[in-house]
Amino acid sequence: MNDYTEAEVQRALAEDLGVAEQGITVVRTEPGLVLCGEVESPHRRDEIVRLVHERFPGIEIAADIGVTRAAAPTEAEELA
Amino acid sequence: MIRIAAVGDVHIDRDVLGRFRPALEELPEHADVLLLAGDLTRHGTEAEAKCVATEFGGLGVPVIAVLGNHDHHCDEVPGVLAALGDAGITVLEGDSTVVRVDGVRLGVAGVKGFGGGFAGRCASEFGEPEMKAFVRTTGAVAERLGAALRDLDCDVRVALTHYSPVPDTLAGEPLEIYPFLGSYLLGQAIDSAPTALAVHGHAHHGSERGRTPGGVRVRNVAHPVIKQAYSVFNLAADNVSSSAASGI
Ligand SMILES: [Fe+2]
Ligand SMILES: [Fe+2]
Repeated sequence: MNDYTEAEVQRALAEDLGVAEQGITVVRTEPGLVLCGEVESPHRRDEIVRLVHERFPGIEIAADIGVTRAAAPTEAEELA
Repeated sequence: MIRIAAVGDVHIDRDVLGRFRPALEELPEHADVLLLAGDLTRHGTEAEAKCVATEFGGLGVPVIAVLGNHDHHCDEVPGVLAALGDAGITVLEGDSTVVRVDGVRLGVAGVKGFGGGFAGRCASEFGEPEMKAFVRTTGAVAERLGAALRDLDCDVRVALTHYSPVPDTLAGEPLEIYPFLGSYLLGQAIDSAPTALAVHGHAHHGSERGRTPGGVRVRNVAHPVIKQAYSVFNLAADNVSSSAASGI
């Protein structure tokens, strides 16, 4: 696990068409890496973890990825 | 008062269908218009754009959009535009549209925009052809945005972009990638007209509020930033020119 691997993981997430996520932060830890960020569906979170496992076998992955809430706003911003 | 709902970076594909719909059903109670600030699709296929059309079509209020970089990825822009157009979504790129809200004319000018960075830390039109092309692209779209804003015949002007016109709303993103997130040239274009509000997306880790050097309020409405289906901005009457106010 070095800088190059970190860059490869980041690019794989952005460039793989089944994932296409640019908003995931890759944090290096001992012994592996943590994926952080928000995605639009639980399916995408699973796909991200699956892709990284598949392309980088042997690297331990923890995912801390949330699904962005999509509720109606409770208040408006008044722009006077 | 004009009530503007806005969201960007919804990155829709089949797996997201229906997630926004409950909040969208009640949108007409909260807002008069919905702005979509680009990255509507996951990677720019016509099939994904049809999902966007299903999710954001038939809302009962006008829906005005710009595309984002993701909407360009698969080189299917004509198909994407057709699918959005079929759903009655107006897509702007260097042009504008006017909608009437209670007798007030709301004008929205939009471009996707592009990168380049911000004053003092930006790319220059110098050197290799690739570098010059990059900077010229931003210069050209910014000029079109400025012209579209200045040419608008309306009471309230709003600028809609995907890329950011200011660094303020990027706070939270790594500094190293600011040049890929926006350009001061977009801000300069926005400041060249009496713009009431500028709305953008693209910076998923950015922050909500900023201001152009000319004092125009800027809002980053990227979905992961606002963490709700859409934000609503109420533009008070004093943002409306007196000619319009007297016409109400
Ligand atoms: Fe995005
Ligand atoms: Fe984007």
